[in-house]
Amino acid sequence: MAQLNILNKIYAAGPLILLYYLSISDVDANLENFLEIFSINLQLIIIYFWMIKRPTLMGTGHVFVAGLINDVVMGFPLGISSLSYLVVCFVGNYIRNKSVNTTLASDWVTFLIALLLSNLLFFSLINNFSDLVIPFAKIGYNTFFTLFLFPIFWFLFNIYQMSFIGSQDA
Amino acid sequence: MSVSRDDFSIAFRSALLQRGASQKFSIFSLIIIAIIIFFLDVYGFAVVKTARGVINDVVYRVSFLASTPKRIFPSLNSEIASHFNLKKENEELRKVIEKYKALELNLEYLTNENLNLKKVLNAENISNVSNIILAKVLVDRNSPFLKSIIVNKGSKEGIEKGMPVTKDNNLVGRVVETNYLSSRVLLLNDLNSRIPVTLDADNSQAILSGGGTAKPKLEYLPEGYEFTEDVNVFASGKDGIFNPGTPIGETTIDGEVDLFIDPNQLSFVTVILKKNEKKF
Repeated sequence: MAQLNILNKIYAAGPLILLYYLSISDVDANLENFLEIFSINLQLIIIYFWMIKRPTLMGTGHVFVAGLINDVVMGFPLGISSLSYLVVCFVGNYIRNKSVNTTLASDWVTFLIALLLSNLLFFSLINNFSDLVIPFAKIGYNTFFTLFLFPIFWFLFNIYQMSFIGSQDA
Repeated sequence: MSVSRDDFSIAFRSALLQRGASQKFSIFSLIIIAIIIFFLDVYGFAVVKTARGVINDVVYRVSFLASTPKRIFPSLNSEIASHFNLKKENEELRKVIEKYKALELNLEYLTNENLNLKKVLNAENISNVSNIILAKVLVDRNSPFLKSIIVNKGSKEGIEKGMPVTKDNNLVGRVVETNYLSSRVLLLNDLNSRIPVTLDADNSQAILSGGGTAKPKLEYLPEGYEFTEDVNVFASGKDGIFNPGTPIGETTIDGEVDLFIDPNQLSFVTVILKKNEKKF
């Protein structure tokens, strides 16, 4: 029984472990060797999905720390990734408060709002307040591919949720 | 109407301020903290700089460990493949040794000739090759936006911001951030990289601009310049950062530069300890 409890805790910590791992390691979803413009922000998908489905598994404090780590590894000004992640958390939280039941379609549309707000904030802060310059096209491609691939990860995370955590929505 | 506005404000406030069993902090408080940290870092407060240096050193080490599976699996695969190709590899190595033996005979002659020519030219910019540091690449995370690497040598070894970084005598980039035990190197193909270069065909001067893609572009060439393939591109050294004549790559017909060193395949690099005339 105790062993089962530990296993459940490990499964429940899966999304957070993945978020931290993606932030700290140099494993990334940037396949520029195959397609130069391809890049996605998997962290935003993870945060949004689990904020909507199981907010108890995605503590905002952890999201904040993962953002800080991502900034250090990427060389961005400290706090900028945390801010963009927290905007996604906020939109996810708001949608969860307003909606009774969510579907892929509704999640996809609302994710667009979260993604646009988050990337707009990231783009304006980095271009106006730091020495770094990131063209709008780069952010645009990133936003497009992240949004485009959201349903795939939605299904994968749903399968993970139903197989290891439980099918009940928040 | 007023009911729907109330609903909106309740949901909005709840999303921003609500805390629960696993949510120890409200999103609002974390957003405020993130904004404060961002502006403290951007405006370069001394305390934040020191703290960032310490955090960088710790996180880079942890990141290096966390990336171990990514490094081990491809190398294991290539090691197994190379085990089965030992005979073929042995023959190839013999050929390479023969080639190097022949080259060695010419080396002494060329070295003497080079020294004599330098005396004749009274060259001023003869770099001191003892002032170099070999550094290991800790993290080479390919951000969609920034192209940089983290190396395991920092201000402890005398590395300063702006120092050029090479591999096999070819230019790779320059140091843009130093911590006590590590440094960040901005690669030539980064969006923010701009380097004055010279082309060996007719000594044309240009600026090599990174575009975030694999091949940086040549800009500000003389009017009417027509691109030809395989023209060697060198650092001109006009910025006082890079040694003049450091090889960079070859031109393509589209005005891009095919770098001699693939920025995605760096494992060890050399930092040239050179005092910069330019301040960053």
